[in-house]
Amino acid sequence: MRYLSSIIAAALVTCATFSAASDGSVGRVKTVKGSASIARGQSSLPAVVNERVLQGDMLRTGPDGSLGVILKDDTLLSLGPNSEVVIDQFLFAPAEGKLSLVTRMLRGTAVYFSGVIAKLSPQSVRFETPNASIGIRGTRFLVKVDEG
Amino acid sequence: MKASMLLVACGVFLVFLTSCASSKKSLFVLQSDPDGRTGEIVVTNEGGSQVLARSGDATEVKDANTAPSAPFRVEEAEIAKTFGPALAAQPAPPGLYLLYFRTGSTDLVAESEKLITEILQSVTARQSTDIRVVGHTDRVGMRQGNYMLALDRALQIRSMLISKGVDPAFIEVDSHGEDNPLNHTQNEIPEPRNRRVEVTVR
Repeated sequence: MRYLSSIIAAALVTCATFSAASDGSVGRVKTVKGSASIARGQSSLPAVVNERVLQGDMLRTGPDGSLGVILKDDTLLSLGPNSEVVIDQFLFAPAEGKLSLVTRMLRGTAVYFSGVIAKLSPQSVRFETPNASIGIRGTRFLVKVDEG
Repeated sequence: MKASMLLVACGVFLVFLTSCASSKKSLFVLQSDPDGRTGEIVVTNEGGSQVLARSGDATEVKDANTAPSAPFRVEEAEIAKTFGPALAAQPAPPGLYLLYFRTGSTDLVAESEKLITEILQSVTARQSTDIRVVGHTDRVGMRQGNYMLALDRALQIRSMLISKGVDPAFIEVDSHGEDNPLNHTQNEIPEPRNRRVEVTVR
């Protein structure tokens, strides 16, 4: 029984590994100004133009920083200074009907211009802040989350 | 006994987290797209929900249990002051280029050949390392054969870009065969606008 469950666990891990996009990235950094970084697990790497963005990454800017990314579905997301946004979930496989984009903003200012996922399946797109959740029907919006 | 104390501690911590989170006020402003269209956003929390449908409309959320405010207008000057840096950091929308082909072949029509130069300029201007090349066909011929033809068209464009100096590692190729037409037709109907390769430069 224990043996069986470990096989199932191994299979699940394998599935998770292969469900990622072709090069594993969900988008790329396209604009950077001042201090801006990508927090990935325990590590933090400086954000530079064309750096890959992965699912689970936190985009972070300092007091003088700003940052803009293009996701694989053409969503445009940019951050002003002192901002933190996490790409919690990104699934873009229209042929298999797998579409999902969940973004979570912790603080700061951002501009969000929705892409193909919002066009094909608006209910699959969600933008979260500490006190509300936003549903998007194909558009552009500005958001500000104050410090706690 | 120990377990129940741990549970209480967790509960206290959760309440603490919630109160931290809900004290962060947020503001949402709807804007029209660069092409002038305005969509809609729906802001929802425990307290209720609010739809924004006019460009320049805003709603404010005080905490997680208070409904989003009724829509109000935000002055342009206020928008520029608060969101200026974030707006300036918006990347240019990806460039989309449609290249058309002679029937049943991987030969570009004459006008589309000129577009290759434009694509190369866009790759340079954006410092792009993310170029997507997707092949399509019309519905003349077998579905499986069309998948291969669309793939050959995409690979042909990939070769052209590489021969002009684009790094192969930056190009992602795919085929949608006859399944993703721009103009829907009955089977076996020739449609030049569907015989295409779509190049997206990000």
